[in-house]
Amino acid sequence: MSKVSRRDFLALVGAGSAGVGAGFLIAEADKRPVEQFIPYVVTPEDYAPGVATWYNTVCAQCSAGCGVSVRIREGRAKKIEGNPLHPVSQGRSCALGQSSVHVLYNPDRLQTPMKRTGSKGSGKFEPISWDAAIDQLATQLSQHGADLHLLTGAVRGHLHALLEQFLAVVGATKYVQYEALAPDALNAANRAAFGSDILPYYDVRNADLVVSFGADFLGTWLSPVHYSLGYGHMRRGEGRKRGRLVQIEPRMSLSGANADVWLPARPGSEGLIALALARELLARGRYTGEDRAAWEEALAAHTPDSIAERCGVDAARIGALAEEFATSAHPLAIGGSPESTTTNSGAALLAVNALNYLAGNLGQPGGVLANPPAPIPDGRERRGTHDSARKLLLDAQGKTLIVRGTNPVFSLPVAAGARAALEKVDLLVSISSFMDETTALADLILPEHTFLESWWDDVPEPGVGLPVASIAQPIVAPIYASRSFGDIVLALAARLGGNAAATMPWSDTEGYLKQQWSQIYEQRRDQLEQPTFEAFWREVLKAGVWGESRAEPAAPPVDVEALRAGLAWNAPEFDGSEEQQPFVLHAFATAGFHDGRGANQPWMQELPDPLTSVVYGSWVELNPQTARKLGIEEGDVLEVSSSQGRVTAPAFIYQAIRPDVVAIPIGQGHTQYGRYASGRGANPFELLAPLADATSGALALGATRVALRKTGHRVKIAKTDGVSRTLGRQILGPGGHDTA
Amino acid sequence: MSDIVESWKKYRRPGYYEQYEYHWAMVIDLDRCSGCEACVVACQAENNLPIVSEKRFHERRDIKWIRIERYWEGEYPDAKLRFLPMLCQHCDQAPCEIACPVAATYHNPDGLNTQIYNRCIGTRTCAVYCPYEVRFFNWFTYHWDAPLEQQLNPDVTVREKGVMEKCTFCIQRIRLAKDAAKDDGRRKVRDGEVTPACVQSCPTEAMVFGNRSDPESRVSKMLKDERAYKVLEELNTSPSVVYLERAHG
Repeated sequence: MSKVSRRDFLALVGAGSAGVGAGFLIAEADKRPVEQFIPYVVTPEDYAPGVATWYNTVCAQCSAGCGVSVRIREGRAKKIEGNPLHPVSQGRSCALGQSSVHVLYNPDRLQTPMKRTGSKGSGKFEPISWDAAIDQLATQLSQHGADLHLLTGAVRGHLHALLEQFLAVVGATKYVQYEALAPDALNAANRAAFGSDILPYYDVRNADLVVSFGADFLGTWLSPVHYSLGYGHMRRGEGRKRGRLVQIEPRMSLSGANADVWLPARPGSEGLIALALARELLARGRYTGEDRAAWEEALAAHTPDSIAERCGVDAARIGALAEEFATSAHPLAIGGSPESTTTNSGAALLAVNALNYLAGNLGQPGGVLANPPAPIPDGRERRGTHDSARKLLLDAQGKTLIVRGTNPVFSLPVAAGARAALEKVDLLVSISSFMDETTALADLILPEHTFLESWWDDVPEPGVGLPVASIAQPIVAPIYASRSFGDIVLALAARLGGNAAATMPWSDTEGYLKQQWSQIYEQRRDQLEQPTFEAFWREVLKAGVWGESRAEPAAPPVDVEALRAGLAWNAPEFDGSEEQQPFVLHAFATAGFHDGRGANQPWMQELPDPLTSVVYGSWVELNPQTARKLGIEEGDVLEVSSSQGRVTAPAFIYQAIRPDVVAIPIGQGHTQYGRYASGRGANPFELLAPLADATSGALALGATRVALRKTGHRVKIAKTDGVSRTLGRQILGPGGHDTA
Repeated sequence: MSDIVESWKKYRRPGYYEQYEYHWAMVIDLDRCSGCEACVVACQAENNLPIVSEKRFHERRDIKWIRIERYWEGEYPDAKLRFLPMLCQHCDQAPCEIACPVAATYHNPDGLNTQIYNRCIGTRTCAVYCPYEVRFFNWFTYHWDAPLEQQLNPDVTVREKGVMEKCTFCIQRIRLAKDAAKDDGRRKVRDGEVTPACVQSCPTEAMVFGNRSDPESRVSKMLKDERAYKVLEELNTSPSVVYLERAHG
């Protein structure tokens, strides 16, 4: 027999619903798993060979916070679906979300704590025990606690509260959350207009005309699964007229491909079109407020004719759109994606908010609804921009820095100097599941559970107009000797002893969460059906989500003066000169890679890009006219250079991009991050100038000029598409489509 | 031999399944489909599709039971991109079925075009005959880097070198639903109880799956939509996948 007694075995399997095999020997993961067949005399609860069990948890592949249901067979995760009970995903899921099992079972996961042995960045590490790792960090913190700097990705829920508590107890204050694709400019515009940066609910579902100013809401913007659900209903919901979609952006995104009208406006000119639309609303008497005259005066200059030249769009098209917007029953304007951010985006997004206000959209079906404050902590006060992340890294030189859930070396512009700053940190600790570019520079690596093995709770952002919180539970037993972020913090507190251990007495994150949720239960006890907290907790875990199921739609409180005062348009600024760098770079996010985190998942590498069908690699998108002019054909390897640096990638002739813009997808170009990601493609962050939106400080991803140079090499791009026209076959239906 | 031919003919009569309980069909609304490819990953996860490597993509040996086809219309600035999800059409008069020399692909009583891996000898004739190009041959035995294999779905065979494979309409899910209905004391599966992986994931709810023999099912009603059409209908393959044309906008 093995060293595990039958009783222990059953206890372990029962506790985590783990299966036989590698899963159950958590404490002995460095030994070979025992491979013996042990029949179940008493079958653990929730476990029957051949029968699937489902656990609800939360997806962390982007910041939307979709509830997911995971299908488990024999203790292993098989399939991720949307949680039908969750108001964000409603049983649906995106490509990246479903690929979460490739995070869990990724062959390149970090399995034990490691300590650097070579020089910084040499990539030489040796495994150490958890005790030694926690000791090293705790010793550092007990001597220089106030020197602790913390850089994380988005951390919401009680885990955020736990971090604040920990920082307070060690006397540290420096804590920034950096998400490369956070909608910073949009948040700032909403703060100015609505007094809150809680993202409102954009009711795409009930709109009859959606005008998107560069927001790829079907692909990458805010909460793609939820907006896709809304979009499907908007198009063909039962008993309603087909809604229309107009997309304004320099390069056709997934949403642009689905639009009825696609307007390739110059980068940074979206705000002008919003102003022209607002002007038309007033001209047609749609807005009847007493301050009408003041609005008219503020908008008078923005006629379609006067802006057409600056937008690079035909005046007639702008006029037609303005008319349609002004005469639709439920028009909705959305905007504010990171990739369309230019130096004037703050003002443009304020104009979009004004447009919605003037159209009478606030609080209306098909309009903009207020989201209530989250019922649990949401960490928004620590959200930072690329600049606050950069400052934190600089500030951490010679001190202690913990990085978790974000990869600044990969996703900050090179000018931020993340690599150089990190090399000067005294003790750089990376809490990560993978050896990414930042982790490779670390002095101490603490392997983290993946989100499918961890306890945490979450608030979806944007919410769905209701106060909702989600609970994430481990859906399988941990497969390596990694630990959850919460458990690492608690272990540190315990090791520090004294005040830290006394105020943070929980043995694990589950216990901590349970205690926090018991307070929620106590506060609302009279409104809840469950007689005990245990019953309540079980219900919440089962559903994976908790909150109100009904709320009156509310209008966000609007600061009209601020809105009107902000109606300005400043020409966008670009880094570089038009003569030397004739093209504006459009670095765009893809649904498969998000900010680059999806690149180590083989399903995502093999997922044809929705717009180009390219797999495994980067490409530079060029308008056919541009390509003809420069004599470039598909596969010609181009050197793309900006004032900041240069990358090389093959050309792809893309039908729907402005001739003065070139586009490169974000996500590839890793030098680390495992066998599937490293050494593949190009990272556009290496080209980005550190320009920011003037009002919000959001990184202007669309404000760098680049030059192209043919290297003389040609490669074959791996893609699945062949002929890209229907050639007269009625493949798309009998309705007389283009036969060119 | 004549017995085989006679019984074979019986199953070649279009619509023979009408005497049985189910005739599965799928409707895809192109006005809802956004081309996001959630279905592509859903299928890969559910049906143990291999990870083939970049090299094999170049050799066009990739295997995707469902894919999104892209068609451009017009030129910049009026370029339009149209998406078409393409999967096995489960044709009632399937060209692949008559071509197979060993009857490895046949029509089952549920109206599904099924592939029997153990019977397949790898002539690849069916793939040549298929006008939709939705049949995939395993030129290699693929492997999964450990521990990725732990994700493999135990309800679906992992195929190896030498056999043809294609969309099954997630026959394992149909079986489970039938078993559940039987255990429940019901004779028939209710509408909406079976959802293939692609349909379940679809974030725009563009895909609907159900029993065409049941006039009350959602697919039966959607088949009557004036936008309904079949791809390459002129070939008389009688597909079980019906598309609703995108509105011109």
